[in-house]
Amino acid sequence: MSQQGKPSKPVLADLILPVGAAAYAVYYVLSVRSFPFQAQVSGMAMAILVCLLVSIFLVRTLIGLRRGRYRLGLGDFLGPPESVPNRLLFVGFILAYVAAVPWLGFTLTTFVFLCLSFAVVGVRPWRRVVVVAGTAALVGWLFFIVLLGTRFPAGPFERLMGALF
Amino acid sequence: MELDAATLAGLFLHAFSLWYVIVPAVLIGIVMGAIPGFAAHNTIIILLPLTLAFDVETALVFMVALYCASHLGGGVPAILVNIPGTGGAAATTLDGYPMTKKGEAQKALALSFVASVLGGLISSVVTLFALPYLSRVGYYVHSVEMVVVMLFGLALIASIAAQDMLKGLIAGAFGLMLGSMGADHIYAAPRGTFGLLELFDGVPLVPALIGLFAISEALVMLEETSIVRAEDGAGARPVDWPATLRNVAYACTKWWHITWCSLLGLVIGVIPGAGASIAAFVAYQQSLFFSKTPEAYGRGHPEGVVAPEAANNGVTTGTLVPLLAIGVPGGSTAAVMMVVLQFHGFPFGPRLFVEAPGLAYGVIVAMAVSYVLMIPMIFPMVRYLSKVTVVSTLYLAPLIVAFTLVGAFVPRGFVFDIGIAIAFGLIGYVARKTGYHVAAILIGVILGPLIERSFILAMRISGNDPFVMFSSAIGNVLWVLLVLTLVMPYVLKRLRERSGPPAAEGAE
Repeated sequence: MSQQGKPSKPVLADLILPVGAAAYAVYYVLSVRSFPFQAQVSGMAMAILVCLLVSIFLVRTLIGLRRGRYRLGLGDFLGPPESVPNRLLFVGFILAYVAAVPWLGFTLTTFVFLCLSFAVVGVRPWRRVVVVAGTAALVGWLFFIVLLGTRFPAGPFERLMGALF
Repeated sequence: MELDAATLAGLFLHAFSLWYVIVPAVLIGIVMGAIPGFAAHNTIIILLPLTLAFDVETALVFMVALYCASHLGGGVPAILVNIPGTGGAAATTLDGYPMTKKGEAQKALALSFVASVLGGLISSVVTLFALPYLSRVGYYVHSVEMVVVMLFGLALIASIAAQDMLKGLIAGAFGLMLGSMGADHIYAAPRGTFGLLELFDGVPLVPALIGLFAISEALVMLEETSIVRAEDGAGARPVDWPATLRNVAYACTKWWHITWCSLLGLVIGVIPGAGASIAAFVAYQQSLFFSKTPEAYGRGHPEGVVAPEAANNGVTTGTLVPLLAIGVPGGSTAAVMMVVLQFHGFPFGPRLFVEAPGLAYGVIVAMAVSYVLMIPMIFPMVRYLSKVTVVSTLYLAPLIVAFTLVGAFVPRGFVFDIGIAIAFGLIGYVARKTGYHVAAILIGVILGPLIERSFILAMRISGNDPFVMFSSAIGNVLWVLLVLTLVMPYVLKRLRERSGPPAAEGAE
């Protein structure tokens, strides 16, 4: 609790972005250290700006911690704890989507991704999961690939349809 | 060519006679504008073979109608699901989505559509008469002024988008840093790319936009089962024609706000490279600054929707002014139009007004007519689009991810760009959960390379003298405004604290 009796605010999650920004700024400066002045100057100026702002933020956080206004903790950063495992699985499916789309193509990857995602976040019954995922994937194929001719990754389904029509 | 009443009437009647070109273009533009990753210039490029097959007048009318409609369409997902369809609609999320969460999606859409249509219409008509004067704006803005204009825009965004200005500034500076990634403009030396060849051209903007807004929003969305808060009882609210008409009538009462915000957008749009995103944020900040209820902004305030949407559509004619007046495209869509003019053997710049004045003025009139023809097409949509908010997030989140991730692939055709969208999605998730507004990061990423280009140009011209940044009168005025932007919120907050308790939340 803070000195005024107000609950202290968890700030650990608030530090992720500034620390990440400062780390990237340092890496950026290191990556340009051997370049000519013209190639360094603007990036250096921005890196100094980032580090200056992050330093002010860290000082403010330290003062807040000392005065009891802040505490080290994540708070509700990850959202409701009961759904964290399912949402982490959802993130895993997103990563798998990137890996699969060059091989399976847009339509099949979208169908499988939607089926798994709907299932893991709690959509039921299974028949609805398959029907909604299938309809969405087919509508996407019709609209983006057939109508607009967008260069989405092609897989077995797109090649089969291309051969048939 | 004299712009008398008879000539104008002729131009307008001729533009209306091309309704069969404008109507499909508007429909395509609204749909494509609402899908992140399919900005107007991408769509126009996809449809370039079609437009090159048209005669030059039909092609230009088709393109401007699609362009205007895509600016309007970008606001729809910004309001309904907190994902701007285009960068220009990023500011609309600030109050549009909170209105949706309060169960006022229908009202927010009506405000957005009225502001877009009136804003675009007003700026088109003003451009028609003020073209010779507007074209001079570009002459006064050089590399020094561009650096300050862009820093000013970023400071505005940082100060209004985040509840904590320091967090907003850190987000903006981080965005600038990410935007500086890639080969430098003189030696083509790769900087901060982690050795990845795909990043040598810098951070691609579409995957960044999709990640920061769509992927992160989908991840946050899954923490609730519905977009609309249950206690607001939005599902029970009537979504019928009388309610739609009442909302449209209410939006029309904001006509003065729409007028000045669209003119602000027009002036900013004339500056090559400034763009719709800066115009929308500047209009939002000015609206907040002159408001009697500034504390209501960011919580679902109607004027917080009207201001950025009017400016976002005021920009549309502004970006064509440099192309028409001096032959320099003011944006990517104008650049594609330049290609079409070149293909058909037409000049651009002042010679266009000498050799084909009907075409030059006709393009601007076609924009005005496009906005008029949008009216019967979009207002029925208010009623139906707002129903998106009652769809469970269990369906929405996976659908958003599936259809926007693949949009990241479109501009360059690299699967790597889908990975960039995911990386920005995780950055966006952290930003959303900890109060660093994603709009500030995105605008930083957009402006990073532009600021760098102008900064290096100014430094080279001055022989690497850093004081060149304070060498122009316009630039110095903008520096003062920038400092005021950073200082004034603190001063005003202190003054309000002294004068009494804040007004009630959600006051209009």
